[in-house]
Amino acid sequence: MAIVKMSNFSLFAFDSERDKLLHELQKFGYVHFTSLDKNEDLIEEGLEPVAIPESIGEVDEEISKVKYAIDLLTKYYTKETGIKAMIRGMDNLNFEELEDKASKIDYLPVYHELRELSSKLDDINSQMKDLGSQKDELHHWKGLDYPIDELKGFQRTKIFMGTSPKKMKEKFDKDLLNLNLTHVETISEDKDSIYLFAMTSMEEAEKFNEILRNCGFSNVLISGKMTAREEIESIDQRLRELEDSSLELKASVEKLADKLPSFQVVFEYLMNKKLRLMVAEDFLTTEKVNIINGYIPTDLKEEFEGAVKGSLEDTYYLNIEEAAEDDPAVPVLLKNSRFAETFESLTTMYALPRYNEIDPTPLLAPFYLAFFGMMVGDAGYGILMLIATFFVLRLANLGDSQEKFIRFFYYLSYSVIVWGVVFGSYFGGAIPIRGLMDPATQYQELLIMSIVFGLIHLFFGLAINAYLSIREKRYLDALFDVGFWYMAVAGGIVFLLTTMMPLGPAINTVSKYVMIAGMVGIVLTGGRESKGVATKTIGGLFSLYGISSYVGDFVSYSRLMALGLAGGFISASINMMVGMLFNIGFIGIILGVVVFLGGQLFNLFLSLLGAYVHTSRLTYVEFFSKFYEGGGEFFRVFRNKAKYINLK
Amino acid sequence: MTFSEFLVSHGGIFFAGLGIAVAVFLSGIGSAKGVGLVGEAASGLMIEEPEKFGKSLVLQLLPGTQGLYGFVIGLMLLGKLDASLGLAEGMYLFAASLPVGFVGWMSAIAQGKTAAAGIAILAKNEEQSTKGIIYAVMVETYALLSFVISLILINAVSF
Repeated sequence: MAIVKMSNFSLFAFDSERDKLLHELQKFGYVHFTSLDKNEDLIEEGLEPVAIPESIGEVDEEISKVKYAIDLLTKYYTKETGIKAMIRGMDNLNFEELEDKASKIDYLPVYHELRELSSKLDDINSQMKDLGSQKDELHHWKGLDYPIDELKGFQRTKIFMGTSPKKMKEKFDKDLLNLNLTHVETISEDKDSIYLFAMTSMEEAEKFNEILRNCGFSNVLISGKMTAREEIESIDQRLRELEDSSLELKASVEKLADKLPSFQVVFEYLMNKKLRLMVAEDFLTTEKVNIINGYIPTDLKEEFEGAVKGSLEDTYYLNIEEAAEDDPAVPVLLKNSRFAETFESLTTMYALPRYNEIDPTPLLAPFYLAFFGMMVGDAGYGILMLIATFFVLRLANLGDSQEKFIRFFYYLSYSVIVWGVVFGSYFGGAIPIRGLMDPATQYQELLIMSIVFGLIHLFFGLAINAYLSIREKRYLDALFDVGFWYMAVAGGIVFLLTTMMPLGPAINTVSKYVMIAGMVGIVLTGGRESKGVATKTIGGLFSLYGISSYVGDFVSYSRLMALGLAGGFISASINMMVGMLFNIGFIGIILGVVVFLGGQLFNLFLSLLGAYVHTSRLTYVEFFSKFYEGGGEFFRVFRNKAKYINLK
Repeated sequence: MTFSEFLVSHGGIFFAGLGIAVAVFLSGIGSAKGVGLVGEAASGLMIEEPEKFGKSLVLQLLPGTQGLYGFVIGLMLLGKLDASLGLAEGMYLFAASLPVGFVGWMSAIAQGKTAAAGIAILAKNEEQSTKGIIYAVMVETYALLSFVISLILINAVSF
């Protein structure tokens, strides 16, 4: 269906032509290489893995240089923000334009300049840090108004400067009483130390030292030609100078900031070049000939042949054949209609289908659309979404996946509006227009409706399962796995209904027997894959037990009602608060408007988030479990995923 | 007036009021805990990768809905409040508040834990972070179911 048909190719080409070939193939893009280095047969034939060219080292070095410049410049680059930036978006380039543009950029001079500037900046920063800590140390000695260096080198007197813990002060004072030729001064204090300056005669020095040691004294080494206060001033002066030159340097870096986009282009170019070199890992080679294997989309076969021919002229051997349906190695690429492609992200988030499976995207899309609208269910919100997404799509330059994401919500907004009109809800009743039903009072009808939608959803999922079995000509499986379940579940529901409503005894009897027949069928066939009568029976009974999960599934659809109701009530309570504010008077009206806008936008965001994840859950857990497995491998396009540009 | 007489004549409004309180405060506590849990986990991430703020906010918001469900039930009960409510009616309204209160409380915490683990996915493999959201939403199912039941209980009667 919507899984792109793949073809497997084997290509023999001369090793010397590899660069040229890969370059051409990268331009073409849609090539998925398969790794041959695990292929025992070929390796036994004497083929060897291709050695990665040494030039990879150069490319890596270039990449790290460019990355360095990008990281540095990003800090200084004043990016446009908000709507303007969104409208501009990222540059759109195709592969040739990218190469062309990148080859014209000589980034090395700028890089060297940046390196130099930033090493100077680093230098200044470390100097400033040093000075800062010097300053902190000197700070405590401000009270000492004597040039520091001149305190050293007395002949008869010894000078001590240092700190001692505060709690030792008493002991220290007491010990000092024994000394006569010693003078101690407390210069300053902080939380738990005192900063001491002491002078003692040489004769007493040893005794004094002893006392100091006992009091936990530790020496502080500071130096300076002037007094501490003057030293601090000169440091401040020096710091100011450094600050100035640092600002100057930063300004010169900032001047280079407009080179950022060209670095980004070079980065994208280099990353693709690296990929081109690295991909050779997947190849095998003889002395001269590379053997390359991979997949291409079948409908691009001619373009692929053209690309190969264009680069190799006639010196190659190429064999292309349709990929086998059941080969698990075939990579998967999805292609859907313009509407359905916006739902692809939901499929890939769960698991990509395998090549022989069905692409569930177009099947889940209509349900997703309906359920999402029902969960938000407010026409006012829908109109807001519609306007916002419409203008973004019209005006903004978006990347491929961004564009799909916005278009996804654009489509959903219609569904939200329709359900909003049905429920008669416009910003939670701010605009009173009657709808077809009122969820607040008719919640029971809504609940039944939700479960009926669930029934349709689940039965549709089962029908797909049956279709898949029939497609593979496993007709009995279709009957056993789907037909019996239809009978059991549908019969059971009708039977339950007849007990509640008078539908006539005929329907009661028929539905009862349909249900029983279905259940018996499930018990008989549910365990058919296991061996032995006992395990078959247990398997069958266990299958039947699965009917309890159907009950869970149906109940799960009540969220269709619950989310809509919760959103509606929150919105209504915001309006209620606004109404109270409006009664206060002028200030109340202003406040009311603010509360209304803020509250409704918050609730809009919450409703969208809730609807997105809960609808995803219904799709993944309830719907997919009926028919879908997934587990396919992504088709890796032969391009590096662009980060800074939109690469076409 | 004996205690039982008092209970019969004023108990209705008392229990209905208690119901509002229970619906709002239990689910509110749960949501506050849950949201706080995710916020703590996300703060660690912001140090290194502040550009993931938007996505982490979505994860943080998930356990917040229980509090809103409780709030909505509280508001609906408020609409039923009447001084002439009989004791049985008041107790009925009180009972209606219990599902959303209790399930909201515990499920918000459980959901908060799941979403906090989702922050780890966001940190290590951003592209897969939506899966963390889905996991957290699995927990929310039960809060939704309790909300539905509370809602039905309130609306099933008219006094």
